[in-house]
Amino acid sequence: MLRTNSNDLITMAVAGYVSAPMLARSPYQPDTEGVGRVLIGMSGIVYNARVGDPAFGWAGDHVEPSVSIAHPDFGIDHAMHYLSCVGNEAIVASGSALGAQGVVTGEHARLLVDFAPSILELLCIGDRILIKTRGRGMKLLDFPSVLVKKTSPDLLNRWGIRVSKENKLEVPVVAMIPAHLMGSGAELTPEYVDQDLMTGDRDELVRHGINKLRLGDLVAVMNTDHTYGRGYKLGGVTIGIIIHGDSVMTGHGPGCQDMLVSADSTIEPIITPNANIAGILGIC
Amino acid sequence: MLKTNIEQLVKISVLGEIANPTMPGLPASPYIVSANGEPILVPSFGSIVYNIALGDRALGWAGELIQPGVSIKAGENANTALGVYACLGNRARVMNGPASGAIGFVTGKSGRFAEHVICHFESDAMDKMAPGDKVQIQGHGVGLQLVDFPKIQFKSCSPKLLEALDLKPVGDLKVSIPVKGIVPSVLAGAGAGLGSENGALNLQTSDPGLFSKCGLDDLCFGDIVAIADWDSRYGHGYLRQAMTIGVVCQGGSFRSGYGPGVVVIMTSKDDLIQPIVSSGSNIKQLLE
Repeated sequence: MLRTNSNDLITMAVAGYVSAPMLARSPYQPDTEGVGRVLIGMSGIVYNARVGDPAFGWAGDHVEPSVSIAHPDFGIDHAMHYLSCVGNEAIVASGSALGAQGVVTGEHARLLVDFAPSILELLCIGDRILIKTRGRGMKLLDFPSVLVKKTSPDLLNRWGIRVSKENKLEVPVVAMIPAHLMGSGAELTPEYVDQDLMTGDRDELVRHGINKLRLGDLVAVMNTDHTYGRGYKLGGVTIGIIIHGDSVMTGHGPGCQDMLVSADSTIEPIITPNANIAGILGIC
Repeated sequence: MLKTNIEQLVKISVLGEIANPTMPGLPASPYIVSANGEPILVPSFGSIVYNIALGDRALGWAGELIQPGVSIKAGENANTALGVYACLGNRARVMNGPASGAIGFVTGKSGRFAEHVICHFESDAMDKMAPGDKVQIQGHGVGLQLVDFPKIQFKSCSPKLLEALDLKPVGDLKVSIPVKGIVPSVLAGAGAGLGSENGALNLQTSDPGLFSKCGLDDLCFGDIVAIADWDSRYGHGYLRQAMTIGVVCQGGSFRSGYGPGVVVIMTSKDDLIQPIVSSGSNIKQLLE
């Protein structure tokens, strides 16, 4: 049993709105070969991509599964970013789906919330969604070098994390990702959104067995220090979650949001093929 | 001399103002957080930096991503044009104030969170300048190509710098270039996934061991470096065989994922650029 300070955590409401997709007047973005592409998949309600579905292969870019919510007020939007944790409960607070329940599955430029397909049919862009945020400030009392980021107590309890005889934190993940494939998002802190895998070199993904990742997969990024920034460090381990789909843009790819991080080797990733929040949280 | 398309290039004005430094507003927490979680308060991007110039050491300053000399910025979309059109080696001229008429040249660019163009001026000219003074650049270099090596892309590189780079043909397909060092792609940090026409790519120093092993501890502003397995044609990202050449224009960093910033001047998808490690590859010597 992992000892945490979960009895001391605050449960706090924050609300945002189902976002609207937006495009620039000129819709083209160059792909890795410089070909202009029109990118679809971010914001709004994505009806046919959900956690558990492939992160690769969509005719879309940075596909955000299910519902993406945001708040127009800069401060409130950041509070939503910084307080929400994967596994937090979401409740529809206006419109035809009033009262429907969902779950936070990640954080991109907007907050990502999963709702069942029947609820998606009722939701409208602009509907208000309340998140019961809980998890910020959580500590693993016996592992002070491991920082918990945006992991709800509920997810932590159901993840299947164990402590080894050598006192390492054994964390189930579907794959290990080498540091040299981590790209866009290096300029941000690990408290804010995600860092993309760089998928411009397709053969390299196959070589490392990470070409079939799914949305919601829990993964380890090796030799990184994501305690207070996103950088390379020999021996450090970052556990993340794949939150959005692949991209055609250079330096981009599926997004990996920081969940449990350590600059030393306290975390021991354990390859577990079904380490995906769709199953762990009973989403679908 | 390798043949270029210089006669096709457009030379065009872009104007910026010397940028004041900025700090976060209320609740007035001015700290950045270092790689090991310490709050740090030091000068950062922008303004006039009097005591650090092109050619000086890039690391070890009590500053965060310090930009030597004079940093300029324009408003919104005009700043994008300033950032893209300005090429290393382009002439910069002060257009008003007591330093009016002083001539310098472009030495670098910074990316997301600052978006400045960095210029070198002589000390006596900088003494007469103030934030807000207008600096105009004669943008010249966008579209530059080597006629016989069309798969090598140039960006932020003036014809003047290209001429000084000492590029040499290696067979029919490749060119060689003297560089200070060759950086493995795993050290390319902040800037990955962002634009490669008008920003910097930061070489990570959060694992000092590997940085040191690459012979980069004595890196200086203006040094030319190669980044292996790195494709900066349309943004920045990992690609085996690709090669990117950049010029150091921002100083070291206390943060994880950051370190000295380089502005990219050459890049190719295939193995067409052959960097040759040499001690004298700094744009200060090449341009002065």
